[in-house]
Amino acid sequence: MAGKAIWKGFISFGDINLAVKLHTAVREDRIQFHLLHKRDRVKLRQQMICAYEKEAVPPEDQVKGFEVEEGKYIIVDPEELEQADPESSRLVEVHDFVKGVQIDPVFFERVYYLEPDANAKGYSALVAALQEMDVAGICTWAMRKRYYLGALQAAGKLLRLTTLRHADEVVSARSLELPKIVLSEKELKIGTELINQLTAPFQPEKFADEHQKKLRHLIEKKARGEKIAVLRPTRRKPTSPDRLLEALEASLKKVA
Amino acid sequence: MARARQEEKTAMQVIWSGTISFSLVAIPVQLVKAVETGRVSFRMLHVKDYSPLARRMFCPEEEKIVSPDEIIRGYETGPDRYVLITDEELESVTPERSRTIEIAEFIDMREVDLIYYDHPYYLVPSKGGEKAYRLLAEVMRRTNRAGLAKFVLGEREYLVAVYSTEGVLALITLHYSEEILPDEGISPGETKVSAEEKGSIEKNIRKMMADFDPERYADRRRKKILDILRKKAKERAPVEAPPVGEEEVEGPADLVAALKESMRKVKDKR
Amino acid sequence: MSRKAVGVAGKRLSLSNLEKDLYPSYGFTKAHVLEYYRRISPFILPHLKDRALTLKRYPEGADREFFFEKRCPGHRPDWVKTAEIHRDSEEKMTVCLINDLETLIWVENLASLELHVPLARAGSAETPDSVVFDLDPGDGADILDCARVALILRDLFSGLKLASCVKTSGRKGLHVYVPLNRRETTFEDTKKFSRAVAEIMQKNYPALVTAKMAKELRRQRVFINWSQNDSSKTMICVYSLRARERPVVSCPLSWKELEDLAGLGDPERLQVLHDEAVRRAEAQGDLFHEVLMKKQKIPYL
Repeated sequence: MAGKAIWKGFISFGDINLAVKLHTAVREDRIQFHLLHKRDRVKLRQQMICAYEKEAVPPEDQVKGFEVEEGKYIIVDPEELEQADPESSRLVEVHDFVKGVQIDPVFFERVYYLEPDANAKGYSALVAALQEMDVAGICTWAMRKRYYLGALQAAGKLLRLTTLRHADEVVSARSLELPKIVLSEKELKIGTELINQLTAPFQPEKFADEHQKKLRHLIEKKARGEKIAVLRPTRRKPTSPDRLLEALEASLKKVA
Repeated sequence: MARARQEEKTAMQVIWSGTISFSLVAIPVQLVKAVETGRVSFRMLHVKDYSPLARRMFCPEEEKIVSPDEIIRGYETGPDRYVLITDEELESVTPERSRTIEIAEFIDMREVDLIYYDHPYYLVPSKGGEKAYRLLAEVMRRTNRAGLAKFVLGEREYLVAVYSTEGVLALITLHYSEEILPDEGISPGETKVSAEEKGSIEKNIRKMMADFDPERYADRRRKKILDILRKKAKERAPVEAPPVGEEEVEGPADLVAALKESMRKVKDKR
Repeated sequence: MSRKAVGVAGKRLSLSNLEKDLYPSYGFTKAHVLEYYRRISPFILPHLKDRALTLKRYPEGADREFFFEKRCPGHRPDWVKTAEIHRDSEEKMTVCLINDLETLIWVENLASLELHVPLARAGSAETPDSVVFDLDPGDGADILDCARVALILRDLFSGLKLASCVKTSGRKGLHVYVPLNRRETTFEDTKKFSRAVAEIMQKNYPALVTAKMAKELRRQRVFINWSQNDSSKTMICVYSLRARERPVVSCPLSWKELEDLAGLGDPERLQVLHDEAVRRAEAQGDLFHEVLMKKQKIPYL
């Protein structure tokens, strides 16, 4: 069963106005560790420490400062910052529609399922239209004192709203300025053949989180007082550039 | 205290370094951030003297700051009962995956529902790996394929998709399928879509078609905060944090005596 | 944005917005800034070498907003040298090292008008190679008062058999450096020494000097900021431009020059503009050379 609704809003563009509820689509369940003091196993907590007095400072003695110059701060009151908070609104405003393939995966942050709130009829028509045209609606909204940018898309019979990262948070791939290296057609051809040989349909179920199971097993073993054999991480020897073609050919022979 | 290690060129903020491999080819790479949080960063200050505050692990029992080498990871098995796990033990769980991203198979990236996407990174080639890296990126671009792999980072093992974008290998951690919640109960069920209604929506959409340009939607909250700060900076001077140092340290007696002696000569001369 | 590709020392660099006026009230464009740093490079590079740089960037010009950038920008060319810095248990950080002309030109293309560097090299971040006395005039005091304090300091140090060098801050103050260049020195030593000096100065010249940071105590006095002698602090690099109305430089002066210029009684005479800085350096050589080379020991520590 999907998670319970976390927010309600209206999708709005042109003369369309559609009431929806947001549901989370992903739930993570990971083994949680605590940080302890080695000596006495007391659970540690995070505490704000004054750099000058080296002492813990309680929340009421903390103020927020913006560093304008080294060691110089503008003090900001929480009330002042509240001016920057978005006004509460239920509107999910669609600004543009873009072709689905245009959005680089690095922008996608978190998927929400949209449940039709009142007008289920318009909902399905929107799903059908988005699917047929293969487009995503780029929208903005304010939720829980934050502005969001998102993509409205259809999947199956459902609308989904995926939050997008803001452009200034995303490091562009181009900015990494990697060296340009010329490859021979032969290397590319064998590489392509090899990848084709190794291609399979995407089946995420095949990849269960075995690590969590093994980690749990290790914790149990340790709880019983058994000794844990420490294994060194292994690292593969890099293929040297002048052996690349050779390695590709050997790989191809192996899989073909 | 600052410790520094000088090195030849490393890529931006390297999170992890190891090898990415497919079949018999192994490429040394480094993992770097693809997402940087915004630049408006505040610091918490002590109201008394505007000293900056730092987040530290603190022992509530002894009421003191605990240094990193005195900290250990514990799994809670009951009230105040923990199983202690060292870094080495954690790494022993799957030692073959903590230094290698081994591509198990290639897939068509379009088959990956974006509901699986978790967090993006980039891989950059380390010394000697540039050529094989370039080959993998170029072949994946031509075939529009992504590589699927599992690898361990910190306390977790991730399922990741490695794909090619602008000549760079990007790596997205994926959620495991058991983490995806079913959409049962949300779906509107069987409803008939009238052609007229759909047509009207499509007409609306067509009018609004554009190219994806994320720059156009800057974070309005961040902008507003910067405006507030600009205004405040004009209104009053910033406060200053005191120098961090021991209070009232006089120099050693000999030094003070030497300074005094020299000072006396200076004053005589003037 | 206009771009221009150039080759510097065999490296390809794409320079942007060269016509951008970075000192609008003076008429000094990014092209001028780059030219200044190119000409001063033989003198400034030894002082930048292997130091974890803090960029102070003025993308919109010297009179507009700036930001400090300690992390080396991720979008850097692959030939930019970097170092990894760990401070306390905070996240480790990659910083730029300006060890060659091409990197200097690259950071200046980012409109990093001001270059701030620590007193220690990145490879030995706990070993200051000099002790610094940052003379900062409070309200009602000026650079002439700083010059008086600097000259007293020079004599005080020479009584201790220590050579010292002085430079303008490029703002209102002066910076006096005592070269050390000894591997055994720690910031604890330099801080202890500078503080003792500041306190004895305050005691002997209470109307002129204060060793305390508080604003009200600084009025009409020169604050000797001894707390700059810390691994976490940076100083404006000698020969760096400052973001003022005019392209002023943090410029070394000989003690004789300082005495003469201060004797004229005009604070403006103690500000060195870009072209004059280049002229001086080319004629006199690097007056700050000793700061990097001279080995001295703080007495009685």
